[in-house]
Amino acid sequence: MSLMTMIVKMSEGLGKTCAIFFLTLLFSLPLGMIVALLRMSKLKVVSAVTRFFITVLRGTPLMLQLLAVTYGPYYLFGTTVARNKLIPVVIAFAINYAAYFAEIYRGGIESISIGQYEAATVLGYSRAQTFLRIILPQVVKRIMPSVTNEVVTLVKDTSIAFTVSYQEMFTIGKQIANSQTSFMPFLVAGVFYYLFNAIVDWLMGRIEKRLDYYR
Amino acid sequence: MKKMICVILALTMVFALCACGQKAAPAEKKVFIMGIDPEYPPFSYLGDDGTYSGFDVEVCQAVCDKLGWELKIFGVNWDEKLVQLDSNECDCVWSGMTILDTMKEAGYVISEPYYDNTQVLVVKADSGLASSADLAGKVVAVQLGTSGEALLNGDLADLAASFQEVVTCNSFLTCFTELEGGAVDAVFVDLPVAASYAAKNAGVAIIDENLGAEQYGIAFRSGDAELCAQVDAAVQALVADGTYAKIASKPEYAEIVNNLLFLNNG
Repeated sequence: MSLMTMIVKMSEGLGKTCAIFFLTLLFSLPLGMIVALLRMSKLKVVSAVTRFFITVLRGTPLMLQLLAVTYGPYYLFGTTVARNKLIPVVIAFAINYAAYFAEIYRGGIESISIGQYEAATVLGYSRAQTFLRIILPQVVKRIMPSVTNEVVTLVKDTSIAFTVSYQEMFTIGKQIANSQTSFMPFLVAGVFYYLFNAIVDWLMGRIEKRLDYYR
Repeated sequence: MKKMICVILALTMVFALCACGQKAAPAEKKVFIMGIDPEYPPFSYLGDDGTYSGFDVEVCQAVCDKLGWELKIFGVNWDEKLVQLDSNECDCVWSGMTILDTMKEAGYVISEPYYDNTQVLVVKADSGLASSADLAGKVVAVQLGTSGEALLNGDLADLAASFQEVVTCNSFLTCFTELEGGAVDAVFVDLPVAASYAAKNAGVAIIDENLGAEQYGIAFRSGDAELCAQVDAAVQALVADGTYAKIASKPEYAEIVNNLLFLNNG
């Protein structure tokens, strides 16, 4: 197999890798904010329960969560296993990443000094207004580097989807490596991941620049 | 500072002594590291008692006993087995491994074949599927890195093309879970694995059409022809003195005993 056919074959899987990546971000970024707000809830029960879920999601391997989401319902309730693996894969990834994003958001929100809330109250801002107009714009700026970190990790984590037989790019690479007894596909995969992340890095850098207000 | 130097010197001396101890030890046994797929019953698997077991493991243990070697078992990542062999993580891959031409072309030393294998399709008993032709337009699962996968990409590419899709899984358990859970319609797998699974799980049927006849062997690194010859000779000695037949006669190997080449060639 020539290097070119190898690259073409693996690019076919790249679409599926991208599907995991974009759908996971689409769901986990907003979900993370909800989780973060629940985590900081004044109601002790709510924050304790949320905290427990975060420890579970952060404290167990993503691979295990993937298996649980994909095959768990079948073993527990006898339902059929999804034929389109993208659904369970995205659910598992989105929940897992939401837990991480939630903690990043919380870190950002709690880093804003209490004086700003007090000042906003004095100026007659409601609580929602304070959060949306004063706190959030600063939080977004502060958390960008940590978010970039997670996003870059997500690109590489997509290869874990093979655990539940989702045929993404790295899976195809492994198949080729096997049939050709060659290490080349791994090198190609490495280059693919690197390029993907180079783009992510550049994009996130742009966004950070755009968020250059208050300066 | 002085204290620090004292501590460092003391540590150095301790390490030096350790080194002495190692050298002074009596002539060590040769350690033979066997690379297995720990999820490949009945050839190699994690037994009920938590140690690796299986036909290949028992034979290898007997070979090591005969040659006075110490056996160490290393669970390889099956789709990286040859890389792990090359990087000295194990001395051989001996785990119901199909001999492929590409292995010989790549320079690996392969032992005498010891097992005749065919690939079968495992389907749900109530699915009404009875032949490979029935599977046209269906989804079939296969384990990555197995000869079944190689066949579907090579000699049986026409059959594979008739399927709606071939899904690769990373273990047999995943393949069979996909089947039981209804995500795939059939699993393409080695006969002994299928038989062993069907024996333990009701409700599955095996379609055996003698697809992809092949043989199992042991793979060694390209420079290890001598090691391979030693192991081959030891296995033959075990066959001659009846140990081999004794291992094969255990009930857990009933599904494979008829295909063992050394026992059935007279």
